[in-house]
Amino acid sequence: MIGMIRLGVFGFLFLTAVFFLVSIYSRSIRREKLEKKWDNEIKTGDRDAYINDGMKDYDLSLRKKLIWLVFVVPVVVVVVLTYITNFM
Amino acid sequence: MRYVKWTIRILVLVLVFGFFHYTLPQHDIVRIADTYEKRIDFGENSIFWASPDAGNATGGVNRDVFFIQTIQPNGKPMVYRNEDTGFGWPPYFKLDTSNLQTEATDLKSGKDTPQWVSITHYGWRNEFISIYPNAIGVKIISGPDVRIIPWVNIVILSTLAILIFMLWRMWAQFRERSIDPVLEDVGEASDTARGHARGFWARLTGWLGTWRSKPRK
Repeated sequence: MIGMIRLGVFGFLFLTAVFFLVSIYSRSIRREKLEKKWDNEIKTGDRDAYINDGMKDYDLSLRKKLIWLVFVVPVVVVVVLTYITNFM
Repeated sequence: MRYVKWTIRILVLVLVFGFFHYTLPQHDIVRIADTYEKRIDFGENSIFWASPDAGNATGGVNRDVFFIQTIQPNGKPMVYRNEDTGFGWPPYFKLDTSNLQTEATDLKSGKDTPQWVSITHYGWRNEFISIYPNAIGVKIISGPDVRIIPWVNIVILSTLAILIFMLWRMWAQFRERSIDPVLEDVGEASDTARGHARGFWARLTGWLGTWRSKPRK
């Protein structure tokens, strides 16, 4: 039991760090894409406003919500592995 | 200088390979001769033993460990230990040690009527420090020549490669967006800044270079 709790606590801390890193990376990728699109195709209007609008869309997007899978997938993997090694 | 660099590189490579060779699962085709349990007093080899069965007290100086004695198709012996890994390292989440021991005992067979089985295990057998691979599972197979494809290793190593690639992409993105613009702004003073941002190797070789003998005047 103590081993399970230890794995849970340290796993949660590690996955939280991963979650933040992936979130920052994903935002950065989207912002760069918007900047490049404005620089190469649009070129008219307010650049900052265009990028801010794009980032607002990103905040509501499915892509951002999918980052929560960082917490879901490892838990599912551990449960499946435990079942396979012990009960199959 | 080049020798130092290569020695460290090869050392790191050997360590990484050894780590995976110890931790990843492998399959052995064997015939189970017998099973037993023995009290083990852990000494300098203690890191090569796993944990007591999940739920039992930890931190004891000794305990009984299950063993599985087997004969390989070439006639040589191989002995496995059978221990819980629980929720610790390596992450096999093995809790069914006693069940596995029962299965292994059930599959015992003599020299004349061999029952070949595939034992999944991790770890090494080393006679010098008395360490044994830890058996994870046992499966009946049709004969000693069966070919086993290591799917689990293929999946684990591919996933790891993808994760390392992702980590590298994230670092590259961080550099491009956060470090490089700062360095460009610094302008004149950038020489010193770049000095700090230089790679580990450049700094190490630079430092080692200061120890080299200077040409005489």
